[in-house]
Amino acid sequence: MILEARNIFKSYGSIKVLKNVTIECHRGKIYGLIGANGAGKTTLFRILLGLIKQDSGSIEINSQGIKPIGGIVEKPALYGYLSAFGNLKVFAQIQGLKLTKDLFCQSMEQVGLSPTRKDVIRNYSLGMKQRLGLAIALLNNPECIVLDEPFSGLDPMGIFALHELIKKLSSENHITVIISSHIVSELTDLCDTLYVLNEGEIIKSGSTAQLIKENVTTFKISGKNLEMSEVLKDVSAVFLNKSALVSPKSMSISEVLHKLMKEGIEITACIPQTDLKALFGREPV
Amino acid sequence: MISLIRSEIYKISKQSKTLYALAAILIIEGFVIMSAYYQGAGIIDLLLDNLKDSFEFRGNLLNGNLIIYLILNSLWFHIPLILMIIISGFLTSEYKDKTLETVMLQPVSKLYFILSKYIVSIVFTLFIVLILAVTTFFISYWIFGYGDLVVYLDGLNFFKSDDAFYRLIYAFLSGSITMVFFSVVSLTLAVILKDATKTWIVSAIFLICSNLLLKIDFRNEVINELFFSKLTDSWQYFFYYEIPYSTIYFKNFMLLGYSILVMVIGVLIFKRRDIQG
Repeated sequence: MILEARNIFKSYGSIKVLKNVTIECHRGKIYGLIGANGAGKTTLFRILLGLIKQDSGSIEINSQGIKPIGGIVEKPALYGYLSAFGNLKVFAQIQGLKLTKDLFCQSMEQVGLSPTRKDVIRNYSLGMKQRLGLAIALLNNPECIVLDEPFSGLDPMGIFALHELIKKLSSENHITVIISSHIVSELTDLCDTLYVLNEGEIIKSGSTAQLIKENVTTFKISGKNLEMSEVLKDVSAVFLNKSALVSPKSMSISEVLHKLMKEGIEITACIPQTDLKALFGREPV
Repeated sequence: MISLIRSEIYKISKQSKTLYALAAILIIEGFVIMSAYYQGAGIIDLLLDNLKDSFEFRGNLLNGNLIIYLILNSLWFHIPLILMIIISGFLTSEYKDKTLETVMLQPVSKLYFILSKYIVSIVFTLFIVLILAVTTFFISYWIFGYGDLVVYLDGLNFFKSDDAFYRLIYAFLSGSITMVFFSVVSLTLAVILKDATKTWIVSAIFLICSNLLLKIDFRNEVINELFFSKLTDSWQYFFYYEIPYSTIYFKNFMLLGYSILVMVIGVLIFKRRDIQG
């Protein structure tokens, strides 16, 4: 295990932000922390990164490196008046690392940025700043990185690129990655394990596939002539434009699809819809 | 620690506000020189009007030494105000831009980080006073030439040109300790308040109150001697005929003690506080 946070409590005045939170992270895996806004994700990350102190509980990081854990909290906060080289130079220097030209190029290429840009980073897009922030977080080779809402504000291409980068860091560099988000779809195909945080408490945890499976009750089926289907009418489907929302209770989704095919309906997609109320809630589905 | 100091110096050298600070100081200097150039003779005449009836004045009293003394007097308010604004900005901008969080996400000691800020602030203050002094001496002697210095300090005091030169240098050296005190105070205020505007307002109030309190007689010998605001005028003592060195040393040592105390308070607060966005 690379990181273990046990029984973490944190309050701001009378407001209890974290209540008995325990998470365990293993080397080289990707963990997702999901919860609605205000659930306590950023506070937990700030505690894991040592920016704020917990009221009680313990954090153990099993790493012998100079920098056991790196990360980005909310937006990447960098020196806008410096270039990418200037930023990396400052953040390398303060941790006793000499930024050679080779290290600079290697750091930039690792996160998919061009080392040839010389202008100040206030000209960079948010996605580029995220990448540079990640390059800074990765200086001194931490074994674990914590990324708080890293997809926030990124366009779909930016989200895809960051997904690929995180997967690469995990699979090739064996870095443990902990990511938070309030958008389920951002984490489902990226994380090995999910923790669900609700009002400061971890209410669910487990493998992403299992948790998502347990909290999917509705499927969005797309295809031609769906409104003609008797099967969909039988399962009380809600018809949308060229698609239908199905929440089958008397039969499984595979049975519904099988019957649709028998009816001669051409299906183009069947997308599971995670029930957010169920996932973020305490009651089982 | 050395690498932290080097990175702080690198950041300062790359920020435009450093250039603004230098420009502001040179503009103040320029204004004093310009007003002295156009109105200086009239002011001198007004000052010496009564004495001219009884004494004969030879040479030009509107000379480089007088201009340097006039610029030296910007140490009362203008220079410390600019320094307090710039130096508090070294930290408040890190709070505002949240770069402090990114710094603290690296393996960096909070103690060494804030100490490096204080050290660099002191170095920056000394650098600014040095720039002010060098440019003042150079420009003033170049434009106005040498001559005897006349100063009004509890009465009119006259100093030979050579004597005035050394007194002015010592005054700048002594004044730099006062400037360091105000700079350290502003950085500690930045630690406490975090917000730039609040820190500027409180720094300006602190400076104004400090100058007002300097003139007040507290009717208590201990307070009159030891209260911080009573210690910020040591550089003026070089313009008495007999320089009271023991008083100057005492004031400067006490002010350095206050600076260390204020710095320790700032360090302790910074160390204890969470780094919050």
